[in-house]
Amino acid sequence: MERLRSIDEFHGLCERLRIDRGGDGLPTIVIPAGTCGQASGANDLIRIAKRTVLERGLGDRVRLRITGCHGYCQAEPSVLVEPQRTFYPRLASDSMARIVEAVVENRVLEDLLFVDPATGRRVERQDDVPFFAHQRRRLIARNEGVDPIRIFNAVERGGYTAFVRLLESGKPEDVIDALRQAGLRGRGGAGFPTWRKWTMLAEQPAGRGKFLVCNADEGDPGAYMDRSLLEGNPHSILEGMLIGAFTTRATEGVVYVRAEYPLAIKHLTIALRQARELGLLGADILGTGFDFDVSLVRGAGAFVCGEETALIASVEGRMGEPRQRPPFPVQRGIDSRPTVINNVETWANVPVIVGDTAPSDAREGSDRDRGTKIFSLVGKIANTGLVEVPIGTPIADIVYGIGGGSSSGKRIKAVQTGGPSGGCIPASRFDLPIDYDSLKQAGSIMGSGGMIVMDVDTCMVDVAKYFMNFLRDESCGKCFTCRKGTQRMHEILEDIGEGRGTLEQIDLLEELAEVVRDTSMCGLGQSAANPVLSTLRYFRDEYRRHVVNHRCDAFVCSRLVGAPCQTACPLGTEAWRYVAHIARGEVDEAYRVIRETNPFPSVCARACDHPCEERCRAGTSGGTAVAIRALKRFVTDRADPAAHHPARRSWPNGDPPRVAVIGAGPAGLTAAHRLSLAGCRVTVFEADAAPGGMLFCAIPSYRLPREVVKREIDALLDDNIEMCCSTALGRDITVDGLFGSGYGAVLLAMGAHKSRPLALPGEDAPGVFPSIEFLKSFNIRGEQLAKGRVAVIGGGNSAIDAARTAMRQRDVESVTILYRRTRHEMPAFQEEIDAAIEEGIALETLVAPTQIGTTNGVFSHLECVRNTLGDPDASGRRSPVPIPGSEFRLELDTLIVAISEDSGVDAITPARGGRIEITDHNTVMIDRETMETSRYGVFAAGDVTTGPNTIVQAIAAGRRAAEMIELFLLGEPLEKPATATLPRVYVEPPPSLDVEAAPGERVETPRASVAWRRRNFAEVEVTLSPDEARREAGRCLRCDLEFTRPAERELAKVGG
Amino acid sequence: MVTLTINGVETAVERGSTILEAAQFLGFPIPTLCHMEGLSPYGACRLCVVEIGNGSRTQLVTSCTYPVVEGMTVRTASVRVVRTRRMIVELLLASCPQSKTIQDIASALDVRQQRFRQEHDDCILCGRCVRMCAEQMAAGAIGFRSRGSHRSIGTPFDVPSVKCRLCGGCMYVCPACELRCTYTEPDKAICGGCANLAPPCVSKPRFDDMMCFLRPCVACEIKPD
Repeated sequence: MERLRSIDEFHGLCERLRIDRGGDGLPTIVIPAGTCGQASGANDLIRIAKRTVLERGLGDRVRLRITGCHGYCQAEPSVLVEPQRTFYPRLASDSMARIVEAVVENRVLEDLLFVDPATGRRVERQDDVPFFAHQRRRLIARNEGVDPIRIFNAVERGGYTAFVRLLESGKPEDVIDALRQAGLRGRGGAGFPTWRKWTMLAEQPAGRGKFLVCNADEGDPGAYMDRSLLEGNPHSILEGMLIGAFTTRATEGVVYVRAEYPLAIKHLTIALRQARELGLLGADILGTGFDFDVSLVRGAGAFVCGEETALIASVEGRMGEPRQRPPFPVQRGIDSRPTVINNVETWANVPVIVGDTAPSDAREGSDRDRGTKIFSLVGKIANTGLVEVPIGTPIADIVYGIGGGSSSGKRIKAVQTGGPSGGCIPASRFDLPIDYDSLKQAGSIMGSGGMIVMDVDTCMVDVAKYFMNFLRDESCGKCFTCRKGTQRMHEILEDIGEGRGTLEQIDLLEELAEVVRDTSMCGLGQSAANPVLSTLRYFRDEYRRHVVNHRCDAFVCSRLVGAPCQTACPLGTEAWRYVAHIARGEVDEAYRVIRETNPFPSVCARACDHPCEERCRAGTSGGTAVAIRALKRFVTDRADPAAHHPARRSWPNGDPPRVAVIGAGPAGLTAAHRLSLAGCRVTVFEADAAPGGMLFCAIPSYRLPREVVKREIDALLDDNIEMCCSTALGRDITVDGLFGSGYGAVLLAMGAHKSRPLALPGEDAPGVFPSIEFLKSFNIRGEQLAKGRVAVIGGGNSAIDAARTAMRQRDVESVTILYRRTRHEMPAFQEEIDAAIEEGIALETLVAPTQIGTTNGVFSHLECVRNTLGDPDASGRRSPVPIPGSEFRLELDTLIVAISEDSGVDAITPARGGRIEITDHNTVMIDRETMETSRYGVFAAGDVTTGPNTIVQAIAAGRRAAEMIELFLLGEPLEKPATATLPRVYVEPPPSLDVEAAPGERVETPRASVAWRRRNFAEVEVTLSPDEARREAGRCLRCDLEFTRPAERELAKVGG
Repeated sequence: MVTLTINGVETAVERGSTILEAAQFLGFPIPTLCHMEGLSPYGACRLCVVEIGNGSRTQLVTSCTYPVVEGMTVRTASVRVVRTRRMIVELLLASCPQSKTIQDIASALDVRQQRFRQEHDDCILCGRCVRMCAEQMAAGAIGFRSRGSHRSIGTPFDVPSVKCRLCGGCMYVCPACELRCTYTEPDKAICGGCANLAPPCVSKPRFDDMMCFLRPCVACEIKPD
């Protein structure tokens, strides 16, 4: 190209380019092809687009522009059509030819448009897509218009114009003023006011020349804003540096770019060459006598070289090590000459600010900080990408408004800003505005703009360890405290994550972090403490859980998790072990394993909510969890519970003590069983006519047959246990009376049997039933209370139980469940909801009752209103909000209220003179570790302490209570040291699994047909066949072998 | 001349002095490890940190490298400084427990335990040997290699050096190996502790080839007559 020799020639070129472009009215297909675009397949799109245009001779009907990244990385490879701004996301390469044709014919391809997940509707224009709509894209939007390897394109779009205008008639003071007005602060993270830094450089003597440096080292993991600016619009950085040189009289420029950005290096190299050829860079620019050239220096893989003085050392060819400041680089920098170092994004902002002729009241941002900042939004977020927003935008707007909320469906816990030098901000503080000062006060930093979203499956101890590992590797090692401090902090975090930590170590960690922060020479060490200190500040309880309870609740730290199925089970049942036995065909062994921890295996095999399956590793990364519950059912259906003889002990000293258990539900019976095995004599008092609690009176028999419950309970009762049914606390017996009769301890396990009322008038009208009473009336007395059109209000298991029971009753026509949120939020087991819908029960979501209507004193209709999901509350869940004007009426015959249950504490409260404390939620207050109530000798376990809960939680509580009562009766301290439940027993994998049976899909639990189910209460689920069971058990990934296989154990001893 | 206040005492020193020089001039003790008279200041060990500034905006800086500034306030043994120094000494003991120099500093600060996993390194990377070789002996045979926890001192690519003149200066200045206490029976007159020396930074085929300037070990000093 011909070199421009004067400013007039530059203006002439701009004119010609504008004339060339304008007025031809051709549409342009824009394909973003930054590194992320290319990685997801943009190159194929480009190739096919070019070929289509060439083959069909469409070169004079459509234009093609290849650009850098547009920011919506989640949606790439994508295509943008101008000027219509049509947006086609996530394209497969075979769609490209169709798109070319459609653009030429001015059509829109509906099936390829973006679908808004919130509304389900298609969106045509990019600017209406929520991800883009809520941003303020001053810098990133320019990437859409510029082809980075064609300088004429950049010039035509306004590139270099601001600089040339300055050359023509501007003064350095104008630039300083503009920067000060705009409030530009360094975008690398420290936030130093740019105008001030440039003023200091301008004041330095000219001497041997002055340097301007663009810091493109961008070392933070997860941050790639600078990369997209360099790849997409390198001329904007060069223009910024030219303006900087004009303002500060700098003579040389350096772009220090990390070697891991090959595309950025390539585009920068091309841009530099083209700029020099055109005469916009180098000696005597545009004939004005102004000299400035820029050289490219590549980094060599050191994060620390992003630090000013280390960067300077690297440019000088020395090892990347920081040095003491003062003197600062602006006084003594590269080769001891005055140097200013600014971040890529800062430089990119300069031409925009200087060229901005808009009035000052149109400025972006909050009062203290102005302008926009680009953030790389990554992690457990639905819309991953680069996001540009005004500084001061609240975090919640970015995470939920632009980011689209959680990608995993689980609650978002925290956001990490500023990379390894930054800290975590918990979800409770998402109202915080993103600016330099408020982030600093919250314990984090703005940093370069990385924003990592974390959900409840992220372990904060692991996060701190991850960053400390990074910093330890990247520390240059000069400062003893940074080098050793990061190493030791990582050591301590490793100890905590592997179950060796102590509470003293947590304090030591904090102390050490502060020393590292205070004594390090450079920013790396000074901010190395941030990940540790901020996670300690907001998530200290997670550290404590690791140290004291040996639990990683996010299931991340593998030495604490062991086999996730076992650790997820409140009982610690070795699910991996009995599944392994099933795979070997050893059904009796499997049963014995189950009985070691669970006295109600047949019950759990039918009605457990299987937390083990939720954590099964086979269910991660798109797979399906092993059907553990169905496998347990397979085993329990073949074993006779009475054939299992657990080990019995006799009471060590003197006469066996007597224990009173109140309530014969799963918690009470488990406790009684274990106390009996320990040698105690137990009397179980039950208010109903038969034992079983909720197992008997609430859970319907099509889920849990009566005979199964009875058989299981009978197997637990023995000579040490006496059952007293139809005996109620308060009415027939009292706690004082029991102690008076010689009982050594009392266990309260009455459960939560009282339905919670809606608190609407008319709730006591005939035809309205609380769900527990409705279920009990049928299960115990056989009364069929439901008639005609039935509605059930609620979304939990008891609502589904009530609905499916009503559906089977004689005079019922229809059953509808009404729930105030959406199906996704319903707490009932998913498979129960599926079964209900299969059986013809209607599910109406986002509906809330407002009034109960009666006719002649009898229930006849229900007034309702429709809801919408409103803003997320502090926990991140969206709350239901009634829509005004959406009221409607349902004509009904029966209403069942199933919103929740309360514990049966009425029997205790009259004894308030008695000393058993009740919580605000009407549950019995206990110490969670010792299971003691506030009254000496009285313990409590199960739903009466927690409110409605699962069966397996009740069993676990009963077991713990029995252990504590045993210690209490022996006079020993009520302590049970916590350990991680790691697999310890080696079960050899079966000799050869079916080779052709690919470990594919999860087995389908056989069920009775819907037609057959409709009018009877026989069990719906059927057992697996031996073949099905073996094959399903073979799908297990054997997470236990890591801990138990002899070879692994040997390796562990040697330290391999 | 620059006027500054150290520990409440006002003093004036030449422009270009470091805080350490000013404090030593006044007689205030500041522990150091990587600092050595005659070698350029480096700032690696961080032991010499002092607190500068006033009110809530104070800062800890290494006195060996920080130049004096007109009107600055310095505290060489404030609570924050002492607490920090004790942690640094704990870290030193955790890495290099057998160095008598480090043990002496620990005793002076009343540090009796270290709470980390015990390591037995021979080198604390203070860089005295590197600077001695380059600045005093004009050889520059050894330098730093690698980064972070892999950082070490030695010749480039571990190739035996042609620049090294076997002067022994590196060992002479090393705080970790200058006084090695590897023996626990003081009644033995010849403990041979220094013969167990294996400087990690310079690899020579024989111990004899090095000029050894080790001061007598305490074991020899307290031997009964």
